[in-house]
Formats: sequence, structure tokens, C-alpha cells
Amino acid sequence: MKKALLFATVLLTAVSMIFASGSSEKDDVTTVTWFASRPLGGEIDTTMREIAAQYSAEHDGKWVLEVETTADRPSYLQRLKTLIAGGNMPDIIDIDADPYCQELVDAGMLVDVKQFLVDNDRYDDFQEVALRYQEFEDGSMYTLPLEYHIEMIWYNKAIFEQYGLEVPQTMDEWLEVCRVLDENGITPIAVDGVDRWPVLRYMAMIPFRYTGNQYILDLRSGKASMGDDLGRQAIEFVQEIGQYFNDGFAATDYATAQSMFLDGKAAMYYIGDWEQRAMLEGYENGTIDYFLMPMTPDANTGANEYCANSGIGLAFNAETFDEKTKDFILYVIDNYGKIYASKQQMTPIKTELPEDVEFSDLYKRIAADMDAFGTNFMKPWDTYLDPSTNTIIQDNILLLASGDMDAETFINLIDSSIQDYVN
Amino acid sequence: MNGILKDKKAYLVFLVPGIAFYLFAVFYPIIDSVRLSFVEWGGIGPEKFVGLENFARMFKDHVFYESFFNNIIYLVIVVAMQLLIGLLFAVLLTYMNKHVSLVKTLYYVPCIITTVAIGQMFRSMYATEPMGLFNIILDAVGLDNLVRSWLADINTVLPAVSFPEGWRFTGMYMVIYYAALISIDPEVSEAAEIDGANAWQTLWRVKIPMIKPVIVLSLTMCITGALRGFDIPYLLTNGGPGNSSELMSTYMYKQAFASNKFGYGSAIAVFIIVESILAVVILRFVSGRKKD
Repeated sequence: MKKALLFATVLLTAVSMIFASGSSEKDDVTTVTWFASRPLGGEIDTTMREIAAQYSAEHDGKWVLEVETTADRPSYLQRLKTLIAGGNMPDIIDIDADPYCQELVDAGMLVDVKQFLVDNDRYDDFQEVALRYQEFEDGSMYTLPLEYHIEMIWYNKAIFEQYGLEVPQTMDEWLEVCRVLDENGITPIAVDGVDRWPVLRYMAMIPFRYTGNQYILDLRSGKASMGDDLGRQAIEFVQEIGQYFNDGFAATDYATAQSMFLDGKAAMYYIGDWEQRAMLEGYENGTIDYFLMPMTPDANTGANEYCANSGIGLAFNAETFDEKTKDFILYVIDNYGKIYASKQQMTPIKTELPEDVEFSDLYKRIAADMDAFGTNFMKPWDTYLDPSTNTIIQDNILLLASGDMDAETFINLIDSSIQDYVN
Repeated sequence: MNGILKDKKAYLVFLVPGIAFYLFAVFYPIIDSVRLSFVEWGGIGPEKFVGLENFARMFKDHVFYESFFNNIIYLVIVVAMQLLIGLLFAVLLTYMNKHVSLVKTLYYVPCIITTVAIGQMFRSMYATEPMGLFNIILDAVGLDNLVRSWLADINTVLPAVSFPEGWRFTGMYMVIYYAALISIDPEVSEAAEIDGANAWQTLWRVKIPMIKPVIVLSLTMCITGALRGFDIPYLLTNGGPGNSSELMSTYMYKQAFASNKFGYGSAIAVFIIVESILAVVILRFVSGRKKD
């Protein structure tokens, strides 16, 4: 009896040690958890914390936003998927409107954000493109944008002038510019291959110019093949432009690619306006400028239509989206635009620019390009493709661009993965 | 003291917390991986039992085979570096009389550096922009034709991701071998010398056979470690470019967490467990047979 009692006590102690949990919640304080994938200390992070602190103060500290950040996207997604698979989805998450998000929607786990905005008369407060970027193919929307960007090709004006190069208007001219630079021993384009997505953008360009996003929509649903004429044109373009990427681009990370361009070691660099702060000095002293995605001869999309995005969105756990959380989100929508814009950021929520902030010429020019934006926008392929095809295309596009994989192998890999998913 | 050790209750007090932790932290995840390998599940909603379908699919998957053979090459490089270089350094260390502790500490340092730092360090050393240490050295000794981005070239990426792992634990195995070598009774070596054995013969015929149990243990640790190799290859290349440096564990991780195929990822995890157990069994069998 004694032995059994001792054994039970020891077992209980051990088990309680393992399962001992951390903090306890005070009953009168509401804590909402935001599992975030934004750079810590970045403009979105600081704006949201500022608003949460303001909101908490207005509610006598009875409301707290707990932010848990994993800025590195692959690590974030791994943790998010593990939490969700374990039945522990946080109250607010960051997620792209991709097929995984659609699966969460289908399982009834996310709040219908479009409905929420319409019901609360906030839908028109947002930039139209910023909201449309968050939509699924059927027009439904389950993620709320906190940023708004356009993407452009930055170039070194001094290098262009040195070789008598003009800003390219068409894809062929762009390739020709690259050829001239390459022949003169200049690295034409600095590319961050480690993150994969910058290379994938090049594949989306030609199909977008001819069909908008229709080709990728057809491709992901198995109605089109990577081996179709348009797919082959996309592949050829990646193969052609890939030879003008910096040596070893597959192992070049984001910071290195950007410094290569800023240090004048590469003539061009494709990135969005979120890097305008890094480009500002060069832009102001006249060494750096940008041009927008070039055209093709029979393009069906306009020169004012290219890649625009509103980034990863906020999604809300349908189970925990109560009145208090709703109230906070409305408070965010009403205050976010002004605070975020005052940090010289492009806001997805319409707002008057604060008068006490002096906006740079670069900011104003980007804002003007955004205002002149057309109706179609190139949506990144990684937000359309299923997770498995995404992994395969991102892994293998590096080989395609470096000339280590032929078009047929690439076509077979992508088509068979999509067929697997569709089936 | 003897009284306490004779008391079985005392064993329980000390053993149960450890066993309970092992059961929950190690055994349960392994069993759950085995269970998941028989289902199809994307992490949301109900799981679908598919029997051996994940395993059948695994043996038809060309990337799985590529990862497997990459893993073998990785294992050979890592084991060769850790065991052979570790042993060489340990032997050299036995001939040192001064500053032994300092040398041991210096060689051990890579073991305590965080993996992310090692990844960043080697990424810089392999790079061409800015020129990394490896390429600077090659250029300086006139081998500029070998200068390249070692992690971007499909012909060099696999050895390039294996090397840091080998380098990292060489010092640890050196310390283990050194401890084993200095524990050999000096009289044995002296007897061998009196019998006419030179230093080389004493080492190969006397010392190495005497530390064989330590070598077998190190080999077991090293092989199972290399079969599960993940962190440095994942940090350096994420298995790329393409699948050129894909290992079993990085492929398993991608399938489970990037492609949301938890069932298929678990099937690969089960394969890794089985091959690790098999490797240990074969090693024990081979080392035991030689002894017989």
C-alpha cells in the first residue's frame, strides 16, 4: 500500500511538472492574442502596438493585445500550421489569401472580413486594390490588409547613362538592356534567390501581360498546363533573364542582393515600395530611379497595371471573434491609416496625409503611381498555388533560371504536382 | 549510501520523472508519427486513414530517392570528418605536453556556437558577393578557376552543406577520443615498445583496438546524427537549389510543414527512424562479429 502510494505521488509530481502551465489570466482583463509575422519594430508592428496601447488606456487597462511575433515567414507558417493542427488557433493570425487559408475558411475557422466591413460601414474606407488583393477567386474575403504596395524595378542611373541605355518600355528592350550591361561586365540584376519569391515574380510577368491573372488561375485548377504556349513563354523569359542575374543568386539573400544594388555592383533590382527608405538617399541624390514592369507587344494589361499587393492579411478566429475583439478591430480601422501614413508608409486605408510630416518626393511619386493604378494587378503566383506545388515551383525555378534544368522537366514537375492536387 | 541504493522506492523516485518526461517528449511523438504515417491529413479537419499508401507513394517519389542518396553522401562526409579528423587530432594531442586544455577548449568551441551563427558564417565564407573566405583563399593560391558560389552550384552544394556539420563536431569527438586514449594504461604502450613496435604500430595495433568500444559508440552517435541531419543544410540552402542538397529530414519537414502533407511527412519520418535503428543494429552486428 505504502509503495503504491509513493509511486502515485511520484508519478503525480512528475506529470504535474511536465504539464505545469505558465501565467493565469485575471478575470476582468481581456487578452487577445495576435500571432504575427511582421518585422518586429517595423512600421506595422509599431503602429498596431501604438493603437493597442491607446485602446487599452481608453478601457482602463482592461484590454490587452498580446503580440507574438515570428518575422521569418517559413518559421511562422510552420508554427501557425502546428498550432492550428493542434487545435490552438490564436485569436488573430497573419495569413495570405492562399489555398491553405481557403481550407481554414472551408472548415469554418475564419471570420468573413468582407461581411464584417460591409456590416460596419468600413468597406469603402480601404483602397480598392488593397482589398481586392485579399479576395479569393469567388470575391469572398477573409483577411484584412494592413499594408499596400506596388513593385518596381529600381535602376542605377549612372550605369545606364554610362552605357547610353534608356529605360526599357518592353520586355524585349529590358532583355536588350541586360545584354548590353552583361557584355560590358556589369551585373545586370541583383536577385535574392534564397527567398525564392523574387525569382517567381519573373515567371508571372509574361502571362500577366497577356491574360491578367487568368493564366495562373487556370494553371492552378488544372485547366491550363505549364507546357501551354503562355507557360512556355513564361519559362523562356525566366531562362533568358536568369542569365543576367548575379552570380550565385540562388544563395544570395535579401540583404546581400539589396546591398549589391545600392553599392552599384548591380544595375537593377526588383523590389516593392516597402524598401523606399533604403532607396531614398540614392533617389534624392539622383543616382537611383525606378521604372515599372515593361510591356509586351500585344499586351492585354496596361502599362499602369503591374504587381501590387496588400501583403499578408489579418484573419480572425471565428470561435473567439467576440464583441470586444470586433470593437478593437473597428478602432484599428479608424486609427490605423493616419498613424501608419505618418511613418511615410503607403496605407491600405484611405486617409488625409498628416500635415506635420514632410513626405519625400519619392513617397509622393509612388503615391501618384498608386493613384494612377489600373484595374488589373499582378498577384504573386505563390498566393494562388497549392502548398505542395508552391514548394516544388519555388525549389525548381532556381534551377530553371540558372540553366540547370530544362523546360520539359520543369513543365512535368509543375503539371504533375497540380494534377495531384486537383485530383 | 548502500542502504539507499538497495531501496527500490529510491529508484522510483529518481527514475519516474525522467521516464515520464521521456514518454511524453520522445516516445509519444514517435508513436504519433507512426500513427500519422497511415493517414492523409493537411492539419485541418478529420484525418483519413489510407493504410500503407503514404509508404507506397514514398517509394515511387524520385525526390525521396534523391534525398536518400544525398543523405548517404552527407553521412560519409560528416562521419569521415568527425571521426577521422577527430581521431587524428586526439592522437596528436596525446603527444602534446603543454597547453593541452587550451587546445581542447579551442577545438571544442564550434560545438557551443549556435547553429544559426554557424549557418551565417559559412554562408558568408562560401559566397562570391562579397567574396567569402574560401574563395579568397582559392584566389590567393592561384586556384581562381575554382572560385564560385559554393551554395548555388549544384555540383558543390552538397559537400558545402556537409562540411560545416562535420567541422562543428570534430572537436567534440576529439575530446572523446583523447579521453579514451589517455585512459589506456601507459604500461601497455611501453610493453609494445619493448617488443619492438614503433609509434605507428603501437597506435594501430595497440591503442586503437583498445579504444574500439569508444569508436563504435562514437560511430553510432555520428551515423544516427548524420541520418537525422537537418539544421545546417536547412539554414544554408533549404535543400536547394532544386533538390540538390535535399536530405531526408529537410524533405520530411517540407512535406509536413510547407506542403501540409502531415501523413506523408510522417511516413518519411518513420523511414528515418527505421533506417537509424537499422544502421545501429548493423553497426553492432559488424563490430560484435569482429570481436568474436
